[in-house]
Amino acid sequence: MKKKIGIIGGGISGTCLAYNLSLYDNADVTVFEKDTVGGASTAKSAGTVCLFDDSLKNRYWDVRLYGFETYLKMEANEKGSAGFDNTGTLVVATNKQVEETIKTGIALAKAAGYSGEYITDKERIKEILPDISTDNILGAGYTNDDGYFDGTMISNYFAKEFVANGGTLKTGVKVEEVIVENGKVKGIKTSEPENYAFDVVVDASGPWSRFTGKMAGLDVPLWHTKAEAFFLSPPGKKLSYTFPVLKYPEFYALRSGDNIFICKSHLSMDLSNPMHAGQWDPDKLPATGGTDEYFIDFLLDQLEMKVPGIVDSGLVSSWLSYRAEPKDFWPILGETPVAGYILATGYGGNGVIEAPAASRDLAKLIMIGESTPLLENWAYSRLLA
Amino acid sequence: MNIAVLIKQVPVSNKVSVDSDTHALIRASAEGMINPSDLNAIEAALSLRDQQGGKVVVFTMGPPQAEASLREAMAIGCDEACLITDRAFGRADTLATARVLAKAVEYYGNFNLIACGALSSDGATGQVGAMVAEALDIPHASEIRSILHMLADNHQIEVLKDLEQQTYTLLVDLPALVTFQFGCNEPRLATLRSTRAAKNKPMLTVTNAELKIPSELIGAEGSPSRVIDSWEPQDGRKAEMINGNEIELAQKLRALLAKGDEA
Repeated sequence: MKKKIGIIGGGISGTCLAYNLSLYDNADVTVFEKDTVGGASTAKSAGTVCLFDDSLKNRYWDVRLYGFETYLKMEANEKGSAGFDNTGTLVVATNKQVEETIKTGIALAKAAGYSGEYITDKERIKEILPDISTDNILGAGYTNDDGYFDGTMISNYFAKEFVANGGTLKTGVKVEEVIVENGKVKGIKTSEPENYAFDVVVDASGPWSRFTGKMAGLDVPLWHTKAEAFFLSPPGKKLSYTFPVLKYPEFYALRSGDNIFICKSHLSMDLSNPMHAGQWDPDKLPATGGTDEYFIDFLLDQLEMKVPGIVDSGLVSSWLSYRAEPKDFWPILGETPVAGYILATGYGGNGVIEAPAASRDLAKLIMIGESTPLLENWAYSRLLA
Repeated sequence: MNIAVLIKQVPVSNKVSVDSDTHALIRASAEGMINPSDLNAIEAALSLRDQQGGKVVVFTMGPPQAEASLREAMAIGCDEACLITDRAFGRADTLATARVLAKAVEYYGNFNLIACGALSSDGATGQVGAMVAEALDIPHASEIRSILHMLADNHQIEVLKDLEQQTYTLLVDLPALVTFQFGCNEPRLATLRSTRAAKNKPMLTVTNAELKIPSELIGAEGSPSRVIDSWEPQDGRKAEMINGNEIELAQKLRALLAKGDEA
């Protein structure tokens, strides 16, 4: 008898997990997406999967590498399917600690057969990014092997694959109730008339997980941090060079057609600052705009200091997105006190990077009952103080 | 050269539905943006100011939140702004709106030129510009493409207007009102620096306490037109994906075309 698994949320988390589950013969997977696949917070992900940057600690190098190579293989299999823009990455070291992290990252990348160098020659740095200021920096790590991907395209690719493997995708269907009896999940009720019986229900709803968890009687301790982003049209409207993924501890930038996408970095968020973090309703997010006024001042100061060549860019558009994360900024994966109710959430802006490795392990847990060190590190139980 | 630009804050989303009782538009969110053709009017006004000197003052009538659009217009380059806001102005049709706009422009000061977008992206009546010109008793040219020249010691402008595949050159005596076609120029963008500077540009808020327009001329009471019916358009067109190998595709296509011929 097949194991029936219902996944709530058709973003990178839900579709990647569904794909991994669909590789097991005895899995019967259904994904419920209330809107479109990869269309909400996944669509607002920058999609950077860089070989070395501060988005994920070097401790989790294998997670990063597995994600990166998953998407490279996706691209090799069907060109353009992961939306890869091979711009390379420049990670700027503004202090000794960052420098050490970059150097370690470069060593790890090289060990896996990729290129990477730590550059202290400021002229060389300016060749890579002519608009940068090299004042007050120690150096920069650079590789031309990576770049950014497209979370929406990746989600749709995973969706296509799991459906081809016999899974079911329900878009435009909202999950309205999780049926739990005697501490065990039984199924779900949706906006469709019929109910669904499941052996396992997975919450992959990211910024909505607090609401989703409540349906199962579970407190999912997630906060939202704001991802505020601008699209800039550089002075002269077209850059004469390939703008790499550019990472500073405070913000990151990458090209988007002829524009530059710029966003406040994940790790600069302070969960105790109500301007940065809170618990909000992602359904109320506007499609565009919504950024705070301080963000203008913040970016202006940062760009004047660090990338003065683009400070007078035109503001094409802006948006606000919510990243979902627990207090320690790591995802929440795996079993919960409700038997059969599994979490695959809290990626906090790192979903594109972390979902492949995490979903691989979660699929094994769900199908075989075998955990992994990664799942143990990112378990729900760690948050029950 | 002092130029007034009249703008409208329109909904960002095109998911607008209709209230079946009042026939009014229900806007999915409070989120607003500057009406697209108003951005063309702003651009034309700013480039004229850049050549001739003077100032550009941007006006809008709306709820207090419409300040966001005025700040945005000032971030793009307008020098000053005037927010016309009063509950008494609410539920106005185009005529009652035009009366208020005209009065506010008069109240603010002297202008050589008033510029508007030709149509709003939500209501799209194209009436307000001409009505403001009538209320102020000044000439107007509607849906123009560009201002070519200043003439007669800056007492006249020459403008280009496209109409039914012809292009006309019109001479207009100033002061005048002109409305700009959507897409007639490329609006400049705000920058981080200009957005910050816009926070401190002057903005005057006026209500009917200042404008003193009789209540029978404004709001619902001053609006002679009534929307008696409105409905969401029925889109009858349907798309169907045709799958198969080349031969199957050709056969299916042939069958479909034959069906089309019968119809």
